[in-house]
Amino acid sequence: MKKQTFFSVLISTIIIVASAEPALAYVLLSPRRRWATTPITVRTYTVGNSTITDGSGGVNATVSAIRAWGIINSSTTSSPAVRGSAPATIMLNTNGGICTSGCLAATLTGYYISQSGDDRIYDADVYTNTAHQYYSSGESGCSGEYDINGIMVHEVGHVIGIGHSNVAGATMYPSVSACNAGNRTIEADDRAARDNLY
Amino acid sequence: MHRRSLSLITLLLIVSAMPLSAAQFIVQPFERVATESKYVVRASVVDTWSAWDASQEVIYTYATLRVSRYFGEVAGPDTLVVREVGGTVDGYTQEAIGFPAIRRGEQVVLFLSEWDDSTDLRIHAYNQGKYLVRMRQDRTEVLVADPVKQGEERLSREQHRFEAEADDNGLTIEEFSEMVDAARAGEKPHAARRQ
Repeated sequence: MKKQTFFSVLISTIIIVASAEPALAYVLLSPRRRWATTPITVRTYTVGNSTITDGSGGVNATVSAIRAWGIINSSTTSSPAVRGSAPATIMLNTNGGICTSGCLAATLTGYYISQSGDDRIYDADVYTNTAHQYYSSGESGCSGEYDINGIMVHEVGHVIGIGHSNVAGATMYPSVSACNAGNRTIEADDRAARDNLY
Repeated sequence: MHRRSLSLITLLLIVSAMPLSAAQFIVQPFERVATESKYVVRASVVDTWSAWDASQEVIYTYATLRVSRYFGEVAGPDTLVVREVGGTVDGYTQEAIGFPAIRRGEQVVLFLSEWDDSTDLRIHAYNQGKYLVRMRQDRTEVLVADPVKQGEERLSREQHRFEAEADDNGLTIEEFSEMVDAARAGEKPHAARRQ
């Protein structure tokens, strides 16, 4: 009887521990995938967004903002994104034909399934819906616009292999609202996701 | 009218209860999604295939839909083909993170509109334009938002929990139909418009 009780407690404990996986935590893209090496090169196309009046159309702000991840080699490029080919490129001036209506920005990523289960990202490009209004850290004030710094920090999270988090306040939390600059920095949950991958 | 309001509130609760799960999207009011769509259909996904575009830059997945019902005042052919960004060709997979995925064998209700650059059809308003049809325990068909988007090959524990709850709380087909009719007729809803 004592043995039965012991095993009942043991099994219950195992079940409780197994189910104690945090319901609120970061999510990696599935299947899990990452770039082969760090730092990860991400270029921002030099033609900026016409709604951003900081002098570079948000290009300089974006280049600076995405360094928040700590593993990004960030600079500008005069070459637009070539889908399917690295480096990862951020396009502020076009929706790429894929990000329209209610889409603010979209990341298009490409990878091969490997036999080892360690999948590699080969390319990821970010497109911006130019039908919406944006502002950057280089501007003062906001009136119904979306923060390009935060949007691009979030999108680069996808570029490096992170999905959406359920942790409110995390940069990879999926919701976004106008005039919210809270995504300019990465939070503990985002760092945990990054550190899981790299 | 009261019932329609409740239905809309239910729909908004369903949408707001789950992550927007997107690249980064702005949630559109239901009536806007309904009125902007060319077709609103109940269909089976009978086939899918993927191919590069002509410039070899984007992989698109094409899905053949066998349509069993058109909602609203506009009807169309029994078979439609939908084109969505993302897919796999020769082992290389391209995904638009958070965009809707469309899979063979699914029972769906879709809002469809044309691409900006062609008359090909796409799911309108991204994930807001796609519902899975599920059978409730009382054998009533209900609509639930698809919890698995591109970049999410499998469900997290929380998504599983949400999906199970959504099955119980989903809109019935007829409630949905009434809402589409009302939206396309220009009737104003009585619930909050924005998440």
